[in-house]
Amino acid sequence: MIQKSRVNRAQLFALLLPGLLVFGMFTVYPIVRLFWMSLCDMRFSSMLTQPFAGLLNYRQVFGDGTFWMVFVNSVVYTLITVPGQMVIGLFIAVLLNGIKRFSVTFRVINYLPVVTSWVIASLVFRYIFNTEGLLNHFLWKVLGVTSGNIRWLDTRWSGLSVAMILGIWKGIGWNMVIFLAALQQVPKDLYEAADIDGCGAWKKFVCVTLPGIRGTILFALIELTIGGFNVFTSIKMITGGKPAHQTDTLLTWMYYKAFSTGQFGYAAALSFVMALSLGLLAIVQFRMMRSREA
Amino acid sequence: MNTFRKILAAAVACMLLLSACAALAEGETVINFWHHYSAQSAENETLMNVLIPAFEAENPGIKVNAVSHEWAELHDKVLVSANSNALPDVARCDIAWLPEFQKMGILVALDEEMADFADVSGQLLDSAMSTAAIGGHYYALALNTNSKIVFYNTAMLEEAGVAVPATMDEWAEAVKALSGENANGQQVWGWNEPALAGWNICPFIWSFGGALTDPDQTVATGYVNGPQTVKAVETFAALVQAGAITGFNAGDIPMTDGFGTGRYAMMLEGPWKSAELAGAYPDVVYGTAPIPAGEGGSTSVLGGEDIAMFNTANREAAWRFMQFMTGEYAETEMAKCGQIPVNKAALESDTVKNADYAPFIEAIQTARARPTVAAWSEMDNGLQVAMTAIVNGEKTAQEALDELAAQWDELLK
Repeated sequence: MIQKSRVNRAQLFALLLPGLLVFGMFTVYPIVRLFWMSLCDMRFSSMLTQPFAGLLNYRQVFGDGTFWMVFVNSVVYTLITVPGQMVIGLFIAVLLNGIKRFSVTFRVINYLPVVTSWVIASLVFRYIFNTEGLLNHFLWKVLGVTSGNIRWLDTRWSGLSVAMILGIWKGIGWNMVIFLAALQQVPKDLYEAADIDGCGAWKKFVCVTLPGIRGTILFALIELTIGGFNVFTSIKMITGGKPAHQTDTLLTWMYYKAFSTGQFGYAAALSFVMALSLGLLAIVQFRMMRSREA
Repeated sequence: MNTFRKILAAAVACMLLLSACAALAEGETVINFWHHYSAQSAENETLMNVLIPAFEAENPGIKVNAVSHEWAELHDKVLVSANSNALPDVARCDIAWLPEFQKMGILVALDEEMADFADVSGQLLDSAMSTAAIGGHYYALALNTNSKIVFYNTAMLEEAGVAVPATMDEWAEAVKALSGENANGQQVWGWNEPALAGWNICPFIWSFGGALTDPDQTVATGYVNGPQTVKAVETFAALVQAGAITGFNAGDIPMTDGFGTGRYAMMLEGPWKSAELAGAYPDVVYGTAPIPAGEGGSTSVLGGEDIAMFNTANREAAWRFMQFMTGEYAETEMAKCGQIPVNKAALESDTVKNADYAPFIEAIQTARARPTVAAWSEMDNGLQVAMTAIVNGEKTAQEALDELAAQWDELLK
């Protein structure tokens, strides 16, 4: 009997080995290596020697005014796009959950932006918001509500806003799909009980629907927060960080530091700072959800 | 199981044998040459079908294995290969990369190791060779060069009654006079500048008589915040604020489109722009002129490529190939595809004198290279940030350049 379980264990190990190897090689090893890089003075000029530098890179990251600027940009981007997507996505999901006909059609229409390529959507947004783009033409020449071209992409907050609008527009479909699935799991008898208690639609939504999909909300919140901090393509394509990095976010700034200036140590430290902040944020979000549960 | 093992062993043996054969064919030396002539270009055709066969015929026993990369990819590939000891023998490098590579210690100091270096480099333009001089040694040979000159829309200048500016004062007047609205009520600008980096701003700083650093490239204070540099930047910023210069904003009309459709009257651009305009806007009529002269003369910025040898190279064969590539024959052949030669003899050839880029050759004689220091990319970023703050009116030119000078002093240490 004992022998058999040993064989089983060996079998188990053999079966797990390929997966563990891939995981180790492509996830664990890079993370460990990246952490080591973040402690080395690794830049173009010292690629061959990589002297150990202790916390130098971390000090440089935190002492860098541009880091704080792009950090604020990422935080603002996340604070606006995450609730934006979730609220609109949930709203559409609730509407779709209530209709019997054309449900699939509406689902497809709302999901289309999700499957559109980020690069193409970003380019289209850039053409719309260019100083001589579609939107300005429409506002000035067609509606006549402005008296000249507005430079949407040329300043920090308006440039970021364009990326945020794109982020929300592109994320609604994903939220709709997962919230729709969650809504269908909420037990119908709870609604019946609420009806008997004389609850209105809003009261039912707040007291039955929201608690019923709490797990999904948490899941979406964490996924989208990570996604918000990871915004890259749209920023790169729409403003390219212009003017002078004022619209850069954490990832585009990291990319710039690593691949344009060759400061891999700085970039590695930055990515660790980012991973830690995201980890902390996820813990906080879990706690918040749990305390409400209790 | 046994059969499978046998087959596997046989396959491995075959592969080993094949690769050994390829490498050792009759004691041949293989030179690995990395470059960024794009794979579909006329330059690559000339390299693969004219130059390399000619070199191999002249040098029996040496084979050239040329590998084409994307521009940015080549840069990163060299860095990665340096880490894994897989560098090529020779590479064509953007002049901006050399200081980095030199600081990594992967380049061969040619003037130290090659006995006939002076003879070879003496055949090449001094201004172009200055891009390979780092800390008193030469780490590459100049391969081809370029610079920027003024492109102006002939009709727009005529309509506005503006002459082609010859001095910086005339330039500022002309840029202002050419700005405003066109007949269709669209905004037009006298000057386009697609970015605010050193490549864009240096020609103004230098032509105004300013400088970025001292001649030894060790200190910036007193140079990048000196009175001439400040004056150049102030003049430029005032024109931006007057709505006469644009192009560097994210929402602006791209340079070629704006110039081709008569929205930008003038721009400072390189020889590649002629081909681009001929392709995209064949109807636009334009002229070219040297950058207007200020107190520092007419001084444009030098671009181009050098050919460098890595320290893992087969020295003798690599050096022969570098000499061949910078020799009169190869430079003249490449000149036919639009590469501006740096070989003095090739510059005298009819091919070059009749080429589209002939107007650039004069600019190259007086053009200057951006600082050849490893920290340049970081310095360049600082310059862009400072220029952005100045043109947006967040800081005065003096304030921003004082801060920049302090930052650069640190980077130059």
